[in-house]
Amino acid sequence: MAKKFLLKLLVVVATITLVAAGCGNDDDDAAPEPAPTQAPAPAEEPMDDEPMDDEPMTEEPMDDEPMTEEPMDDEPMDDEVVAAFVFVGPVGDAGWTWAHDQGRRYAEEQTGATTLFVENIPEVAEDFRSVVVDFIENEGADVIFATSFGYMDPMEELAGEYPDVVFEHASGYKMNDTNFGNFFGRMYQPRYLSGMAAGAMTQANQIGYVAAFPIPEVLRGINAFTLGAQRVNPDVEVHVTWTFTWFDPAVEGDSAAALIEAGADVIAMHQDSTAPGIAAQDAGARWVSYNSDMSAFAPDAFITAPVWNWGPYYARIIDAVAAGTYSPGAYWGGMDDEIVALAPLAADVPADVSAEIDAVAASIVDGSWDVFTGEIRDQDGNVVVAAGETLDDGSMLGMGYFVEGVVGNAAP
Amino acid sequence: MIRPILVRRDRVVPATQAVAFVVGIAAALALGLILLWTSGHNPAEVYERMFDSAFVGTDSLARTLERATPLALTGLAVAVAGSMGLWNIGAEGQMMAGATVATGVAMTADGLPGPLLIAVMVVAGVAGGMVLMLGPALARSHLGVSEIITTLMLVYVAIRVVEWLETGPWKDPASHGFAVIEPVPEQASLPGLFGRANVGTLIALGLLIVFSLAVSRTAWGYELRLSGSSPNTARYAGISLSRKVLTALLLSGGIAGLAGAVQLTGSATRLESGLSNGYGFAGIIVAALALMRPSGVAVAAVVFGGVQVGGQSIQTLGVSSAISDILQAMILFGALVAAVFFNYRVRWTGPAGESLVDEPEEADMAAEGA
Repeated sequence: MAKKFLLKLLVVVATITLVAAGCGNDDDDAAPEPAPTQAPAPAEEPMDDEPMDDEPMTEEPMDDEPMTEEPMDDEPMDDEVVAAFVFVGPVGDAGWTWAHDQGRRYAEEQTGATTLFVENIPEVAEDFRSVVVDFIENEGADVIFATSFGYMDPMEELAGEYPDVVFEHASGYKMNDTNFGNFFGRMYQPRYLSGMAAGAMTQANQIGYVAAFPIPEVLRGINAFTLGAQRVNPDVEVHVTWTFTWFDPAVEGDSAAALIEAGADVIAMHQDSTAPGIAAQDAGARWVSYNSDMSAFAPDAFITAPVWNWGPYYARIIDAVAAGTYSPGAYWGGMDDEIVALAPLAADVPADVSAEIDAVAASIVDGSWDVFTGEIRDQDGNVVVAAGETLDDGSMLGMGYFVEGVVGNAAP
Repeated sequence: MIRPILVRRDRVVPATQAVAFVVGIAAALALGLILLWTSGHNPAEVYERMFDSAFVGTDSLARTLERATPLALTGLAVAVAGSMGLWNIGAEGQMMAGATVATGVAMTADGLPGPLLIAVMVVAGVAGGMVLMLGPALARSHLGVSEIITTLMLVYVAIRVVEWLETGPWKDPASHGFAVIEPVPEQASLPGLFGRANVGTLIALGLLIVFSLAVSRTAWGYELRLSGSSPNTARYAGISLSRKVLTALLLSGGIAGLAGAVQLTGSATRLESGLSNGYGFAGIIVAALALMRPSGVAVAAVVFGGVQVGGQSIQTLGVSSAISDILQAMILFGALVAAVFFNYRVRWTGPAGESLVDEPEEADMAAEGA
């Protein structure tokens, strides 16, 4: 990501500088490079949330260490909640982090709370701790939202150290009884619907799926997508490529291009960038994006997307913290709760398929049917869900296999 | 055409190093003013936070030391090889290899009492780093294959191995299907010093002292430096170059591996593919800031660690990660350039590359002495 790129650039510059010293070349041109490559990003996000402005500040807002005897001096008014978000990627990724940032903005608007965020924070204890402690001690944060799995261990530790602060973790499984909860969404539901659209649009009956890591969340999504595609097109195959990265446009785009070369004419993805869609459009293939409606990035390729809608959940938690009624839980909301949804379909999706998608969506929302309802077989032909039965949450959360019709290795 | 070349200054007063550092950083901060102003921030507020969060108060110092520790170890790893003019670009991978072997040992010997287990893990870490370095070291010493490429490529191998272990053989059965390795045993965490700082800092400090003395004050160190700067002289003096290359690179890999074990038993709770967190690559910058001298690594690592802590802290003030990254890069770059110009001067050469003024031998980095 940006941080790693910059680090590598610095290494190169350091090397060049030293080598130049040795061999007498003047390579100082390399110096100004970081600025232009990084400069466009800040323009995208107006710094509207200058956190210090709205605090009842004394003359020295940051100088916290000489005035330890006045505890919580920089805590804003009692009833105003400060919510801080730790993002793993850049808010401009148009994907995972962007969707969370939209949720942050929505929650700020709805609740009137002050929200703060940091982006590109690596999933290691020292980085996560450092920013969270700053949020709490310098900015008076009352609730911390962390949006990546790798923050779980340090967050558990911090929840113990700061019992008066609420910690909410997306995509993990740890929690406690007082101030640490987790939340996620049933993305497999709109994934199934997006699979139906993709199954209808493929001519080659071969769909390529660019997937990040072989973990239950991703396997569940691939299986749901495949079951949806098979519903409208029993001959369809879904070919999976693992990238071992959530966000790496180059790798994601290359993987999509390779899948297309191998015969796929529709690309689906469990990735955070728009690169697979751009690769699909370049090759004349179609694309099911993820995280957000990415139709603007590859309008000719775009079919639809399963999307996140985090805002209402964030607003609920902030309201609960403000009212003093927060209690932690393990939230896993579905389409009925609108935390996940399907983006609008492309105009050329056949009307009958579109109508069927609407009907299935309605049955998911009203609870009369769910995606993993049998009979479902795994890749080896073993029955994993018996006819008429529906998988329970535990089995879905621990899913470790591919269903029939997926081509690839679930445990590479 | 007249071209500038850099020539090592005949006499470098040690105190000028510190001056160079300060001048370079000050210049970068001055440039940073423009960056912060134009992006709508109050530079005084941002700089104050940057400094306070990294250096003022015990908690701040502790988290700077927490970062400086792996940076110092990887920086030392690069500098030990660099003393002989060799480039270990792969400390990132050796760090992962060290942490991997240390984790393997912890899994089989998890019944050992804490101090013993940690000691075994640290030794295993050194071994892991050396194992990953063995190929590049032998290829360099016996076949003359550039260690720059081989050490770098193995970084990705080491990280992929960890990813494979995470999703496959070492996947924690208690992780609800998530691809994580089980945490290292409770007793295998390094004792804390203060705040987030742990005993790993002392280990790093000890090693820095040992290697500073070894490289600058012992016959071994002299031979190392001589082999790098004047291989022919060294050979004439009866020094086995291939053996020196082998030792320097293996030591370098071992120290980077140790950094992995220290990180595993220190800040981290378990082996993860992100454990090395760029420290190995950053170590190259640390070593460059220290002009490849182990004695300068400690200061460079603390400065680098502080810049990273401060850079992250200003993000919580609302400074975007892009601006923060540019600022961090400018500060380090400023220090680096200043360090070079305080040690080298520009000399103008004539059309054929010959010097316009008679000059002493054109030195290279490896010739650096005490």
